[in-house]
Amino acid sequence: MKLVGEYTFNGPREEVWKIMRDPDVLVTALPGTKRMEQVSEKEYIGEVNIRIGPISGSFSGKLTVSNEIPPESITLTVEGKGKIGFLKGAGDVELIDRGDGTTLMRYNGEIQVGGKVASVGQRLFDTVSKSMIKQGLDKLNETLQDRGAR
Amino acid sequence: MRNLFNLSVTVNGTLYEREVEPRLLLSDFLRHDLGLTGTHVGCEHGVCGACTILFDNEPARSCLMFAVQAHGHKVITVEGLGTIDSLHPLQEAFWEAHGLQCGFCTPGILTTLVPFLEKNPDPSEEEIREAISGNLCRCTGYQNIMEAVKLAAEKMRD
Amino acid sequence: MTKQFIGKRIKRNEDPRLLTGQALFVDDVEIPGMLHAAFLRSDYAHARISSIDVSAARERPGVVAVYTAEDMGDDWEPGPPLVSPPPTLQGVTFHSRRQAPLVRDKVRHAGETVAVVIAESRYIAEDAVEDISVEYDPLPVVVDLGKALEPDSPLVHDDLDSNLAAHLYQQKGNYEAAKAQADVVIKKRFYLDRGAAAALENRGIVAHWDEKGKQLIIWDTTQAPIAIRNGTATRLGLSENQVRVIAPFIGGGFGPKMMMFYPEEMLIPWVSMKLCRPVKWIEDRRENFYATTSEREQIHDVEMALTKEGRILGIKDDFLHDTGAFDPYGLTLPLNTQCHLMGGYDIENFSSNCSAVFTNKPIVTPVRGAGRQQGIYVIERMVDFAAKELAIDPLEIRKKNFIPPDAFPYNNVIVDQAFATLILDSGNYMPIYEKAVEMIGYEQFVKEEQPRLRAEGKHVGIAITPFIETTGVGPYEGARVQIEASGKVYVTTGYGTQGQGHYTSFAQIVSEQLGVAVSGVRIITGDTAEFHWGTGTFASRGAVVAGNAVHAAASAVRQKVLKLASKVLATPEDELELEDGKVRMANIPHTSVSLGELAALANPLRGAVEPGTEPGLEATDYFGPQYGAAAFGTHAMIMEVDPETMMIEIKRYIAVEDCGRVLNPMIVEGQLHGGVSMGIGNAYYEKLHFDENGQILNASLADYLTVTAYEMPPRIEIGHGETLSPLNKLGTKGVGEAGAIPVPALFAQALENALLDYDLEILETPLSPNRLFELLYKS
Repeated sequence: MKLVGEYTFNGPREEVWKIMRDPDVLVTALPGTKRMEQVSEKEYIGEVNIRIGPISGSFSGKLTVSNEIPPESITLTVEGKGKIGFLKGAGDVELIDRGDGTTLMRYNGEIQVGGKVASVGQRLFDTVSKSMIKQGLDKLNETLQDRGAR
Repeated sequence: MRNLFNLSVTVNGTLYEREVEPRLLLSDFLRHDLGLTGTHVGCEHGVCGACTILFDNEPARSCLMFAVQAHGHKVITVEGLGTIDSLHPLQEAFWEAHGLQCGFCTPGILTTLVPFLEKNPDPSEEEIREAISGNLCRCTGYQNIMEAVKLAAEKMRD
Repeated sequence: MTKQFIGKRIKRNEDPRLLTGQALFVDDVEIPGMLHAAFLRSDYAHARISSIDVSAARERPGVVAVYTAEDMGDDWEPGPPLVSPPPTLQGVTFHSRRQAPLVRDKVRHAGETVAVVIAESRYIAEDAVEDISVEYDPLPVVVDLGKALEPDSPLVHDDLDSNLAAHLYQQKGNYEAAKAQADVVIKKRFYLDRGAAAALENRGIVAHWDEKGKQLIIWDTTQAPIAIRNGTATRLGLSENQVRVIAPFIGGGFGPKMMMFYPEEMLIPWVSMKLCRPVKWIEDRRENFYATTSEREQIHDVEMALTKEGRILGIKDDFLHDTGAFDPYGLTLPLNTQCHLMGGYDIENFSSNCSAVFTNKPIVTPVRGAGRQQGIYVIERMVDFAAKELAIDPLEIRKKNFIPPDAFPYNNVIVDQAFATLILDSGNYMPIYEKAVEMIGYEQFVKEEQPRLRAEGKHVGIAITPFIETTGVGPYEGARVQIEASGKVYVTTGYGTQGQGHYTSFAQIVSEQLGVAVSGVRIITGDTAEFHWGTGTFASRGAVVAGNAVHAAASAVRQKVLKLASKVLATPEDELELEDGKVRMANIPHTSVSLGELAALANPLRGAVEPGTEPGLEATDYFGPQYGAAAFGTHAMIMEVDPETMMIEIKRYIAVEDCGRVLNPMIVEGQLHGGVSMGIGNAYYEKLHFDENGQILNASLADYLTVTAYEMPPRIEIGHGETLSPLNKLGTKGVGEAGAIPVPALFAQALENALLDYDLEILETPLSPNRLFELLYKS
């Protein structure tokens, strides 16, 4: 399933980049995240609670970053599994300075799921993942603005 | 430590009092706790309708309810419609019109139809089709079920 | 003078129990001390298992045991091969790979059983399944049938060089020579895809090992109780007579319940013996999509050679057949497909290569139609394309090619699923075909109504599809008929029932012989303690094979009755008649003796018997046909399509059937209605969607769309023909699958006809509103 979209952050690129790489921020941002820690320069592990329609459960997994060109672009690879199934995905994220103090984020990725969440959650997957991403990015944007205000 | 609830429910006219877990489905309660196995489970997702019972005289999917939700309420299952020696006219009509083959979906269809026929004693073909559109049958292709309903309506009008 | 029971519309004996909730299905079985099983199934379609940790599950209160493949030790064994390749076919390649009770090395399809939890309740067992941790090493997945034989494809079975499960070649005459003579050669590629049987009742099994009595009783939703009993006895080191398998009322079979030694069937009896307690497992709906077999995926590359007048000179079809991760069912499906690729046409030259291929998907075994749909789809589509190419009327081209009535028995040379040469026993196709043409009002519709509707901007199409169906195959079935001293007649056969009305149709056969009311005949089916010889309910063979066995046993009892009554009434046998449960002298009704009295006399408590006499009025007999009887039919349909919403409405539907002698027309019509409803599902609403990870994306009835009352035509109008089969005394042929077989081909024809202005060419099935949209707006 493709995940493609855009989002405008109210802050400069460098700041957006910093919060994106900060596990303490990420843990509050992504909805349902129970924990997130950075275990090496390029790896994070964590646990996320997911609910898709009638299916809910936790995924534990690994997020790996690669192709880093700060503060322009980065590739994120994610792999997770749990009682409700497994998921794997990868996506490219681009940050563009709009010249007016805001940053445009473009993301283009693909995610594959298996298990219960694939066979019963299929119809809802699209809307739920879009909503989770939006919620996460909104939270990051909030944090960005709070920090900017300080 | 299991968290039990004192359930009190009337099924087919008899009051039952049992201790049940809150997460026990009504379909499982009827089938396994009370031994009323006429209500069948086809999907547990509320789609197929095989588990339909009458909850305070309205059709409801027992697989989508917890037994505790029936506390203080009245449930009727297929066993409450008629017996082998004394069939409900609807059951008789199904028998005469060959409205069942494997019989698995049948109890859910019968309970769905009882209130329908009470409210619509002279239903049109369109109305009958709509009434059974929420019940899946894999054996009959629905044609003889429709015939059975028409026959039942006739019988019940007399 | 005996009454006529055969051929009558008689109410079913089994209905009162089913209507009042008094019929026993497997999940209704309750035994004190019974435990419940739940399975941990793999989410991955292809993965190695590096570790399984069941310790947390074992500690959960209420859990009695948890087993993995390792815990089974030496008892671990894959399922037995169910059908071997035909010994009568030369040059067959066959790699037999069968399913495991619990996965040992690697998972080969999503849903494979990895561990089983046994607990006090199903609820606790499911909780404990979530306590189990499995480390999987995911492997690349092969799902695409068209790519599975490529050299770099992931291998489902690592000990083989490729994913080729089997290869066979069959031919008749010489296709290449025929092609050289042809005026036109049509070539097409067809894609056919999977559907599920989706019976309303999911599978289930209860096993009860009685340690003191050393007896194992199993209730199983199987179409083959005798085979399950024999195989289970062997697997568990028991004598066959220590095992009893009961297939009680079953909520729909349709084929997948004929698959034997599913992992759960191998495991649950073993667990019961280990724990010395009854154990129950009931499949839930989501499991059913993965764990119960499905069918129909094939890719066909077809060529048909014709003269310019439309005479078919030959057909060549090389096809791939998806068998899923394992192939316990041998070559039954591809052979059925091959045997239907010539349809009911007189085609002298035929060539077909079939490759069965392993993929990381659930196992493929017969589903109503069992490979015949695919063969009929291909031939009927090719004939349609030939008609278009040659500008010949689609009805005329068929009539030119039908096997003429004097050509029967017609030898089609190739080998069928029963290992015999495909011989079509009898038939008279033209009148059946013309009846369908007439019933649908073809002439009038095409000349007047359709042009008028088209002028109004409506898209209404008409289609007529003939087809054959091989039925009634052997090897054999048996039955025992007994008249009891009470006068009641008791009949038992190994042939199980899943709603086909055997309790009534078999009773009618007995009533015909013994002159008792149908309601006075008690039939027991599917209990190995009652009758333990037979194969199973499949391939539309109940009426033919079991029915004729019942007939043979009932006739034998009739002979005994007449012999004894002749002595008792001091009257020659040919002056006696059986009616109303009595034997009386023809024309002198008050001189009679009841069947019950005769039965008592036949089992004396004192005195001597004549040497060579058997006690009672009982007989056991068997029937095995020489080969399968071939039925013929034609379906016709008028359908409207909305080219904006892609929704269809079937305005009229005709099904004309010739299945030889009909035992109970009401039951036959019911089978046709049901078959057509499954055919409509197969054609336009049902498809199992797999993604590239081998996940089923629509594993629930909310997303896998079986037909509701709304999708059916207002009425299925049925016509009958009766060309008796010379292969059995009753003259019957099978009809159980007939309703489903021609429908995908019928839909393709109707859609192309309705959407003539879009110039659609349909080369696939199943279709759907979404898919039709893609086809229309890409063309």
